[in-house]
Amino acid sequence: MARRRVPQVDGGTKAQAAVTDARQRILDRVKAALAAVADKRPLPDYPADIALSRGAEVPGDAVARFRERLHAVGGRSFTDAAALAAWLGEQRVTRGYCDPALADWLAPTLGAAVALETTFVRERIDDYQFGITRARAAVAETGSLVLDDMTTATRLAALAPWIHIAVVTPDRIVPDVAAAIAALGDDPNIIFCTGPSKTADVEGILIEGVHGPGEQVALIGA
Amino acid sequence: MKAPRVQLMATCLCDAFFDDVARATVEVLEHLGCDVTFPEDQTCCAQPAFNSGDWPAARQVARHTLRVFGDPAPVVVPSGSCARMVSHGALLLFEGEGDRAQAGELAQRTWELGDFLVRGLGVTRWPGRLAMRVAFHRSCHSRGTTYAEGALMLLRSIEGVEVVDIGEGDQCCGFGGTFSVAFPHVSRAMGTLKIDHVLAVAPDVLVSGDSSCLMHVAGLAERAGRPLRALHLAQVLRDALESTRPAAGASP
Amino acid sequence: MSSGEPVDAFAAAQSDSRRSAVRLGSKAGHDKRTEALFRDYADPDRLRRLAGDIKQHTLDHLDMYLERAQTRLEAHGAKVHFAADADEACRQVLAILHSRDARRVVKTKSMATEEVELGAFLERNGIESVETDLGEFIVQLDADKPSHIVKPIMHRDRREVARTFEDHGLGAYDDTPEVITRRARAYLRRKYMQADAAITGANFVSADSGRLVLVTNEGNSRFCLAATRCHIALVGIEKLVPRDRDLAVFLNLLARSATGQTLSVYTEFITGPRASGQPDGPEEMHVIFLDNGRSDILASDARDILRCIRCGACLNVCPVYRQSSGHAYRGVYSGPVGAVLTPLLAGERFKEFADLPRASSLCGACNEVCPVDIPIPDLLLRLRDRGKRAGARPAGAAPSMTTFARLASKPASWRRALRFGRLLGLIPAPLRPRALRVWDKNHVLPPWRGGAFRKWMAERKRKRP
Repeated sequence: MARRRVPQVDGGTKAQAAVTDARQRILDRVKAALAAVADKRPLPDYPADIALSRGAEVPGDAVARFRERLHAVGGRSFTDAAALAAWLGEQRVTRGYCDPALADWLAPTLGAAVALETTFVRERIDDYQFGITRARAAVAETGSLVLDDMTTATRLAALAPWIHIAVVTPDRIVPDVAAAIAALGDDPNIIFCTGPSKTADVEGILIEGVHGPGEQVALIGA
Repeated sequence: MKAPRVQLMATCLCDAFFDDVARATVEVLEHLGCDVTFPEDQTCCAQPAFNSGDWPAARQVARHTLRVFGDPAPVVVPSGSCARMVSHGALLLFEGEGDRAQAGELAQRTWELGDFLVRGLGVTRWPGRLAMRVAFHRSCHSRGTTYAEGALMLLRSIEGVEVVDIGEGDQCCGFGGTFSVAFPHVSRAMGTLKIDHVLAVAPDVLVSGDSSCLMHVAGLAERAGRPLRALHLAQVLRDALESTRPAAGASP
Repeated sequence: MSSGEPVDAFAAAQSDSRRSAVRLGSKAGHDKRTEALFRDYADPDRLRRLAGDIKQHTLDHLDMYLERAQTRLEAHGAKVHFAADADEACRQVLAILHSRDARRVVKTKSMATEEVELGAFLERNGIESVETDLGEFIVQLDADKPSHIVKPIMHRDRREVARTFEDHGLGAYDDTPEVITRRARAYLRRKYMQADAAITGANFVSADSGRLVLVTNEGNSRFCLAATRCHIALVGIEKLVPRDRDLAVFLNLLARSATGQTLSVYTEFITGPRASGQPDGPEEMHVIFLDNGRSDILASDARDILRCIRCGACLNVCPVYRQSSGHAYRGVYSGPVGAVLTPLLAGERFKEFADLPRASSLCGACNEVCPVDIPIPDLLLRLRDRGKRAGARPAGAAPSMTTFARLASKPASWRRALRFGRLLGLIPAPLRPRALRVWDKNHVLPPWRGGAFRKWMAERKRKRP
């Protein structure tokens, strides 16, 4: 089948004109539609904590609350690397990826039990039984881990292996979703991971570990 | 409020089938000292035409209703569905029309019966004694209003009345006016679910503030060979009053 | 007795097992929503009304927010396009793919892409396009259609899915949900890694920051955006919200309303191609803002429907949806939101779908659960008026209102009809009005009492003036 070469969208002037024309047409239609609206609703003013869930407003040990919420959504947490190593042993896991920035810290405890690789090779994506990456933050209200492009060495290492271990320090645990959103900043890709990947598409039965990790682990370290 | 004059909007269903509900409404209101007038030119709130999407026909009927109830006295209606038509539906119907202001004025002073008793007249307890296990059906038009709370408060305050919850109480009974004949299969399925839930709590009677829902559920139940007793709120209140008098005629 | 109204006929023809699956699945979703919202908030309705106000404000100023979003997105390195209709959207996607010599695409669940039938278009143009959401993947394998906007295969059971997998070479018959999921995981992983581009929708776009928000439980959108080098997002123009801070309100409502979760598993915030130094992710990002009838809806008296955040709560609570399922609505959007959107998005073909707004008892449960407080029953009523004026003829047994209106606006005629109504019973059944026959099939009609109350009232007034 002969493929017709279509002009590049950001190159050809004819295509560019078409884009601008569509934009203008749509904006003109929107403006015309809104011209007839008599009472336009103002942007409501509301306190930042309006969507804070019950219980989240009670101040307390952020680490304890985060861990409780993470467990409630099917995740796991450890506060020391030795316990993590023991658990990995129980899972009969032998090899995985570790962010090189964490390798020096973790190799002593984990290195005995499992082989740690500090490069993630896409072609061997299914060889890594776990991925250890840094989390930029965590959210106590929901048990979420916050990952982004600057702190997660490779997106796939946190996503593809069955076990994802996110390392977060206690000072990076924010209290709630609103606070986490206020702190989003400039990173082009930020993701809140709230427990392991899951689906209930087949008869509403919950299955964990669909495309992403079946085990979402937080290692809360110094 | 004492001894107010109120106008009764009897509803077309009571006009055609449920005269006892309209009678009970009058008796209940007069017991509280109201002077009840019945504008005889009244016909219908226009909801059937409105819901059917025939808005020109609906406006024709609704305009007539606006004229008939032009007297400034409050209007009381033993139906949440008709009350909502007057207080909400008519405002949509007359958007952009000259009658909009008049519709708004009537909307302000039209009350569903139980709501009038509780919020209008401040009634908190109802006299009398009835040994009765009641399943209360919250008709859909009570959503977003205080109709159901008002009715429940009055029912629970009657000595001897036990009110029980119906499972999936927020689910529609399936009447929906012309919906019941345009979508008979779905309407019957919805009604059957409602009947199952009602019979599961073994009440003596199904009570609602809307004769339309009761007509549908009771009619469906009877055709299916599972008859259930249905009474309108007004009839229960009237029967409770009757129980305080020596010899009395209660509801069928 | 066949009613003629398509949704009723569909419901009547449905198998008991499918009806049961739909009803119980919907009810479970609704119960989870109720539990989550009332456990976590003292006043969920206050939150819904606020979210509704924010969305309505955004719609009322949509031109301003669209321009703002475009500026922010372009500042972050994303390319922004506009598509007036389905045809333009599909051609723009193809143009982007051709510019990168892309032949294989992975896509996430996106109502907008289904609306424009992008998958079929791409296939016709030699592009392999694989659905990665498990439910949508199964629907694609079967050339089926989704029956719910959040749970696409709610109408299927595990046996049907297992047979589908076997038929498509994904393994010998095994209907264990876990096995089904593992097989899909392995199969789709290969597709992700071979794909040249990812196509997604977006749940929200924050105009102030130019952030797209993508929400999933499976992690499929995340995988699409980690494995491939080009990201194309097709986004309805109504998906905008003013600021990041408003996202907190919507995100707290969305997952609770859809499935009873506090947050979906993956909430991804995207402002542009991958950061430099990040080995994974798109090097090019395109956002196509789609009109496809939305500006017409904005100009109509049903504009509030554009607030919809696609949570599915209205489907779950709707008693008509529960009896009929999504396929009865003949469109991408089903349930209460579909009954409003489908006829409106059909534009000139409005009349073909004018029966959908009638497929409702106007119970109002949909509005009660809507996280953005859309007054759906009011919109259905407006569409019924529009349908009648457009000449759409009801197929069901609903009686004509012309005679009714004549009787109900002339008191003398009304009173006469009350007196003579009992004569209807004397008319032979086949000659009675159709509505009466339909009613009579399922119900026992109460005895006719026309005139009885008026007589009593007149007596009473005479005795005590």
